[in-house]
Amino acid sequence: MRRISVYVALVLLAAVSVVPFLWMLATSFKRGQDIYTTVPSLLPLDRKTGEWAGTLDNYAYVLDVGGLGGAFVNSVWVCAVLVPAKLLIDALAAYAFARIPFPGRDKLFVIMLGGMMVPAITLLVPRIHVTQSLGMFDSGWGLIVPNIASVLDIFLLRQFFLSIPKELEEAALIDGAGRLRIFWRVVLPLSKPVLAVVTITSFLFHWNDLVWPLLVTNDPGLHTLPLALQQLVASPDGGRAYYVMAGAALAVLPVIAVLLVFQRRILRGIAFTGLKG
Amino acid sequence: MAAPVLERPPARPGGRARRRPDARRRDHLIGALLVAPALAYFLVFLLYPALSALSYSFTDWNLRTEAAWVGLANYAGLLFDDVKYPHFWKSVGVTLQYTLIAVPLTLVTALAQALLLNAVRRGANVFRLLLFLPVVTAEAAVGAIWRWLYDPQYGLINTLLGLVGIPGQNWLNTPELVIPALAFIAAWQCGISMIIYLAGLKGIPGSVQEAAIIDGAGPWQRFRRVTFPMLRPTTFYLLVTGVIAALQVFGLVYVIFSGNGRSVTGGPEQSGLTYVLHLYLFAFRYDAMGAACAMSFILLVFIVIVTALQFRFVKQEAA
Repeated sequence: MRRISVYVALVLLAAVSVVPFLWMLATSFKRGQDIYTTVPSLLPLDRKTGEWAGTLDNYAYVLDVGGLGGAFVNSVWVCAVLVPAKLLIDALAAYAFARIPFPGRDKLFVIMLGGMMVPAITLLVPRIHVTQSLGMFDSGWGLIVPNIASVLDIFLLRQFFLSIPKELEEAALIDGAGRLRIFWRVVLPLSKPVLAVVTITSFLFHWNDLVWPLLVTNDPGLHTLPLALQQLVASPDGGRAYYVMAGAALAVLPVIAVLLVFQRRILRGIAFTGLKG
Repeated sequence: MAAPVLERPPARPGGRARRRPDARRRDHLIGALLVAPALAYFLVFLLYPALSALSYSFTDWNLRTEAAWVGLANYAGLLFDDVKYPHFWKSVGVTLQYTLIAVPLTLVTALAQALLLNAVRRGANVFRLLLFLPVVTAEAAVGAIWRWLYDPQYGLINTLLGLVGIPGQNWLNTPELVIPALAFIAAWQCGISMIIYLAGLKGIPGSVQEAAIIDGAGPWQRFRRVTFPMLRPTTFYLLVTGVIAALQVFGLVYVIFSGNGRSVTGGPEQSGLTYVLHLYLFAFRYDAMGAACAMSFILLVFIVIVTALQFRFVKQEAA
């Protein structure tokens, strides 16, 4: 009896969590005239006759006229360049902080960690200014370079590298292998779990990020998917829910696919790190 | 982020002696080279912006002109001049109200979800995944989806309320309902807190629960006397990080109130004008970068104070 009530509660909570997505999908396949009804239907049915009336026109419209097609490509590009570059920069620094002795290393690391305490909002305005001074405002570089490293990721990677038994590396050192070779051949292959977590969370963050592209781009040709979606909401089409939900689905579905494939790694990683940043 | 523990790697016996001086010098060089890109990023995009934000907060400045030194005028104006900055205190009130509703609602929902998930075995993974979906969703999409759900005429929420005889509301256009409506979205996205609570629950040794059962404690008593006290560190961590995040809520509000010129005012009667949305408007609509930087430091100080108070409160409780 108790077990049944637990399951009932879980089903209700899961419904609250999932129905908005189902509703988004249902709306995105409906014709304009069919969404204005007070008889809710999860299937795209004709408002009057109740016959099947599903359509892909909304997707065609937002991809083309709504500019979400170009924005989708931009988002893919930004993530394809930014995520690996950031991982490389962070992992190299983390390895040096973990294993390679050089003067002032630990002090420098503590100072960088301190930088994590400053709220992102405080940095926003001057960061735009720096980006402008570097000539990257309203350019593809401006979307990538100001995000190209993360102190949090360096911290996480360093913690993991420290947990790798030192003997493995020392044996290679004595055999005359260089630091970089050890990093590439010994450390990275052992670090797949943490590399996966950092890669996935970083992809999710940048794929979803609205605020930085909003501030750093004006040219609609540079808009990423979340920004193009916001622009769609703000446009006269923003009142047409069938368009907006098709746009939202384009932003949401790739991320849900990533979640389904990597759910174990993501959920386990979150327990240690949180998601943001 | 919990306070990081920086363990210094233990000195390896004889390791240093075995490395020749030129190898050590090479280590210094390689170490510096590997850190260099991250360090450059840190200096250019973190340290310099933080310091320049502070100095700009004492100036009258937009991105096109030279900054003119005005001393504490931005701070004094924001705090005391309600002619020049009429909505400053309104935005503070909106943000505090949002934080006070959204954070507890999120934590309670997350804890309930975690307790339920922890109580079942079959299907727990599926439920956990479904409850987690809202977290990975872009805030632009979240805003778009909920605008449609909250739609006064054809929104699903009013439709469902209508089916059980409750009159629909104009959620996002009624000043008193805006903040509760936003807080509900925040609770809908409580998945990260849920996962962290779940990890906390797994960390409670089964023997403790068994001892309580043997002592005749019912489910509610076990929760009150054993489970919840043992989750205190988790709750505290989620409370501190939750408050810090809620005080900075921006993207979602920006999308929710996009269009119809409403993003300029932040909802009906500024009822959705959160602090950071206000800051954004100062910086990028009203061209008052200096005042925006001052706002960001007022927020920074406020966050530090609130966090310190929470730490203090917990210490007193524990004593």
